Amino acid sequence: MSKQEKNIWEKLENLPREFLYGLLLIAFIVPMINPMGLPLPVTPEVKKWYDTIEALPSGAAIIIDQGYSGGGEPECGPFAVAVYHHIFRKGGLRVIGVATTQEGPLLWDKAMAEVNPEKYGRKYGVDYIMLGYFAGVETAMAALGKDLRALTSTDYKGASLDQYPVMQGIKGATTVNLLICYTTGGDQSEGWVRQWYTPYKTPYLCNVLALMMPTMLPYMKAGQIVSLTSGAQAGQMESLVKVPARGIAGADVMTFTEILVSAFVVVGNIAYFGRRASKKKA
Amino acid sequence: MAIAMDLASVTSIWLAALFTIWAYSYTFRDNVWFKFAEHIYVGAAAGNLIVLGIDNVIRYGWLPLTKGSMLYIVVFLLGILLYSRYHGKYFWISRFPLALMVGIGIGLSMRSTVTSEFIAQIQSTVTMKVLGVADPWTAFSNLVFIIITLCVVYFFVFTFPGIHKGNLGIISKIARYSMMAAFGYSFANGFLSRVTMIFGRLDFLKSQWLPLPGAMVALPIVLVLLVYAMLPAEKRPWPKPTKSK
Repeated sequence: MSKQEKNIWEKLENLPREFLYGLLLIAFIVPMINPMGLPLPVTPEVKKWYDTIEALPSGAAIIIDQGYSGGGEPECGPFAVAVYHHIFRKGGLRVIGVATTQEGPLLWDKAMAEVNPEKYGRKYGVDYIMLGYFAGVETAMAALGKDLRALTSTDYKGASLDQYPVMQGIKGATTVNLLICYTTGGDQSEGWVRQWYTPYKTPYLCNVLALMMPTMLPYMKAGQIVSLTSGAQAGQMESLVKVPARGIAGADVMTFTEILVSAFVVVGNIAYFGRRASKKKA
Repeated sequence: MAIAMDLASVTSIWLAALFTIWAYSYTFRDNVWFKFAEHIYVGAAAGNLIVLGIDNVIRYGWLPLTKGSMLYIVVFLLGILLYSRYHGKYFWISRFPLALMVGIGIGLSMRSTVTSEFIAQIQSTVTMKVLGVADPWTAFSNLVFIIITLCVVYFFVFTFPGIHKGNLGIISKIARYSMMAAFGYSFANGFLSRVTMIFGRLDFLKSQWLPLPGAMVALPIVLVLLVYAMLPAEKRPWPKPTKSK
């Protein structure tokens, strides 16, 4: 069987993936080696997130769901770290960490090692605590909201909660001022709306993977989430908090790769319409 | 920085770096290093989950039981009954704890699903203002939102096929293009997510692995071995492919 010669449009439509990924790899490496410091405007959502924490009164309790998986850490981790920097630097706030994913406590340790709360004079058990992983997602969220002490009497290290000043007066959703969730799962991001915002009206900040944004946006539009951001916006939060780290370093890379993929889409469309036109001619 | 590191940290960074390279090598071509990384990852992930699972059972089940919370006996019994599904004769017993779990899950979700996912969403769309909005861009944006919402709802009315034909077909067309735009937005966000994740791993290689002693020498060796593994078997000088009879 003789192979029919491909025209230019067909060749463009069937570029080998090795070539495309090769270009993509170059688009990653070049700005990593030579950062250009492209402008990084702060979106209203990130600003609102920052302002919400800034407006919290002294002694306010924040419950934080360290709900992302190891695979999603490169995206959610930098944003979470920037927010922890903000909270610990502001001071006077009580951070109660919980995890709705099994890897949560391990990733909490990683984030705390990056942030180093002691640098800001914050101490474990006095200013912040991690209660550990709670199985059952929405069941756990509901139980946490109703009576946190009935769900667990120890932190993730197995020590009694009674010995920690940070836990004084914390009983459930009604004693918490703000809920923050970093997650890679829709069960978590939507579950907190159902189990905490709807029954208790707890103000809710949510950080998800960029690919989850379209499904979560309606909740923000309806006022159920104060501010919804994606992990890809970590650079914006870092610039607001003035702690440049992985987010800002990745901003140039994201711009470069997005431009490249946009070019791929344009080329693909030109090739598609070109092939159609050439077929009509023939 | 590298000198101050202990052996365990250095080993874990080396392993993480090698597995990162091997895992991403699949984007170029399937190869034996990728398969090795894939199998190790699946095994390690399963092992990790089992350990974490056992730890959770001990912390949240066994410890409260030993401290006198006798109600946990029921929980343990229900948990054990779940495994009866592997028994040929008594598999039906597993349906009881399963039914309980499903019931609790649905009950908890349903108590607020209607409010959070129907009423609140409809309310926010219905109360959207077009007139009397100070910012003209917001007014325009709201108008577009309302038009698109109505058109998309119209598109999914399948009971009367006639309403999608003729002059009214324009409504379905607007809905289709709007949905295409929404899917494009989803795709762009999905891509952005993947880029961030890949950047995270590349940044790890650049900032944590490459500064370690020997990493700069190891990198080209790893890449050469990868390229070699990606070559078709008949083009490799060694090992020669075995001919099937």
